[in-house]
Amino acid sequence: MERGNPTGRPIVFAHGFGCDQSMWRYVWPSFADDRRVILFDHPGAGHVSVDDFDFDRYRSLGGYARDVVDICDALELQDVDFVGHSVSGMIGLLAGIERPDLFNSLVMIGPSPRYLNDDNGYVGGFEPADIEALLDSMDSNYLGWSAQMAPVIMGNRDRPELGDELTDTFCRADPAISRHFAKVTFLSDNRGDLARLTVPSLIMQCSDDVIAPGSVGDYVHRNVPGSTLVQLNATGHCPNLSAPAETTAVIQAFLAA
Amino acid sequence: MTAARPTDSAEELLDGAPCGYISTLPDGTISTVTRAFEALTGFAREVLVGRVRLRDLLPVTDRIYHETHYLPLLLSHGAAHEIASNLVRSDGTLVPVFLSSVLVRDDDGEPRSIRTVVFPATDRRLYEQEILRTQRGHEDIALQLQQSLLAGDLPQADEVDLDVGYQPGVTRLEVGGDWYDAFWIEPGVSMALVVGDVVGRGLKAAIAMGQLRSATRAFASTGLDPAGVLRALDRYSIAYGVGEMTTIVYAELTLASRALRYACAGHPPPLLAAPGRVPTYLFEARSMPIASWDTLHRTSASVELEPGATVLLYTDGLVEHPSRSIAAGMEALLQIVGKRAGETPQQLGRAIRDELRTPDYHDDTCLVIAQLEPGS
Repeated sequence: MERGNPTGRPIVFAHGFGCDQSMWRYVWPSFADDRRVILFDHPGAGHVSVDDFDFDRYRSLGGYARDVVDICDALELQDVDFVGHSVSGMIGLLAGIERPDLFNSLVMIGPSPRYLNDDNGYVGGFEPADIEALLDSMDSNYLGWSAQMAPVIMGNRDRPELGDELTDTFCRADPAISRHFAKVTFLSDNRGDLARLTVPSLIMQCSDDVIAPGSVGDYVHRNVPGSTLVQLNATGHCPNLSAPAETTAVIQAFLAA
Repeated sequence: MTAARPTDSAEELLDGAPCGYISTLPDGTISTVTRAFEALTGFAREVLVGRVRLRDLLPVTDRIYHETHYLPLLLSHGAAHEIASNLVRSDGTLVPVFLSSVLVRDDDGEPRSIRTVVFPATDRRLYEQEILRTQRGHEDIALQLQQSLLAGDLPQADEVDLDVGYQPGVTRLEVGGDWYDAFWIEPGVSMALVVGDVVGRGLKAAIAMGQLRSATRAFASTGLDPAGVLRALDRYSIAYGVGEMTTIVYAELTLASRALRYACAGHPPPLLAAPGRVPTYLFEARSMPIASWDTLHRTSASVELEPGATVLLYTDGLVEHPSRSIAAGMEALLQIVGKRAGETPQQLGRAIRDELRTPDYHDDTCLVIAQLEPGS
């Protein structure tokens, strides 16, 4: 979806696992005056049709990164500022490595190149058993079930009454694809890619973030050449919703620099 | 009519509410709890208030969901209703709950607190698990039915080596109506090779597949040529309302003459690989799917196979893939078969499955490979 000033320099916002482009609802309007604002949903999120989801293409974050490049190319964007929340930070990083020519800068909010702890002292924040439990729970589908986040009922075309009530829900997602996205996200390991980024980058690290702890933000900063690290006062994993003013100010200051 | 006198003070009404009710700061730190919340969690309010955040009471799995789904919803919409979660009690056990929250903002619009009611959901969770088990059971039945329908001995002959295979898609929901078959039309003289694809998924498709598969066997034994078998299937499908729009490739191999007669109803063409030649597709005798709008023009075609020739029948799941066109998939299949001349049907089948399919391939696929013995 395109907003803002069509002749302005493009800025692309990418949402993370668990939500859709409405994550940016308090942020993008601040850029609308002079920037061409591009918002999109990853497949399976928001209103992206999932009948023909390609599990093969999206077997790793590389597939999601290819989408970013494809979107930029399809819209003939140049000089893009890319803002990725959560896993979309790494997705943006991969896109930036593949096509440095497309991007002016990369902003990563709460990025993590590896969510699992390992034996060599890396602390990602999660044990493999945690993620196994997450995927199991998503399988049994009890997690996240609510009328508001109601999953698109896939394969239940004979029960249209379930689907009709689900219009205009927030952060709705196809359960099978969400699970796939969770698996790809939480089992990804992009630590080896960090050093390959040549696009100028900003890491925005929240306080007290259980998904991407401070030590992970430091790790990303240490390993991405020339990156800038900003510690936010905002707590939690979603400063774009909990502290949009601070989030916007930090992004704008970085882009103006 | 007299106005009812309040029976509870507001404070007592709140603290004695029949569900857990808490208030937290925007960062999740618990600031107020009710008696029911203490009872539910086993923690006294002195332990909780000002010291514990709501997320600290969640197991890791729910914590991830809390951060990635619940809070975004709450912060964005100001409310989140009936979110399934678990709480870790003071004794370490889990209690399933539903959470409903509203976000309270101050005059400047900044989040001030979050009010959350907490309903125990143990019984409801059990019901849900029961429903889930039932649904899984249906999926298992469909898969078992399909596998039992496809089981059975292949015809044995010195002149021809056979391999067949079925692979379900990545999720169990994808159990579909694909089938393969190989059987004697006349023992020792001619055999039928069949691959078909019934529209739809699940139990219904599996049942329709079983019916069409049996019907095909029955019609094949009556001396009909391939086009005649397809016409009989049209009549059967229309008469009994079974398997409309099924696609099928039916081929009949006569061992002595090495003649292959075949017909395709809306199905991908058979692949023919002869020793020393580039593999090709057999593009003749094509017509519409079974019981579709045009069933009048069924035709058969015939080709004489060379010694050592390999014929391959398959369902579209093998060559069709969202990331590439069917044409590209068919080209890939040609390449694989072309570079594996001389391999047995079993080796070839394995190579095709390994190279064309990926671990998370979502469509089911069927494959029949027949290879004539090399000439002496």
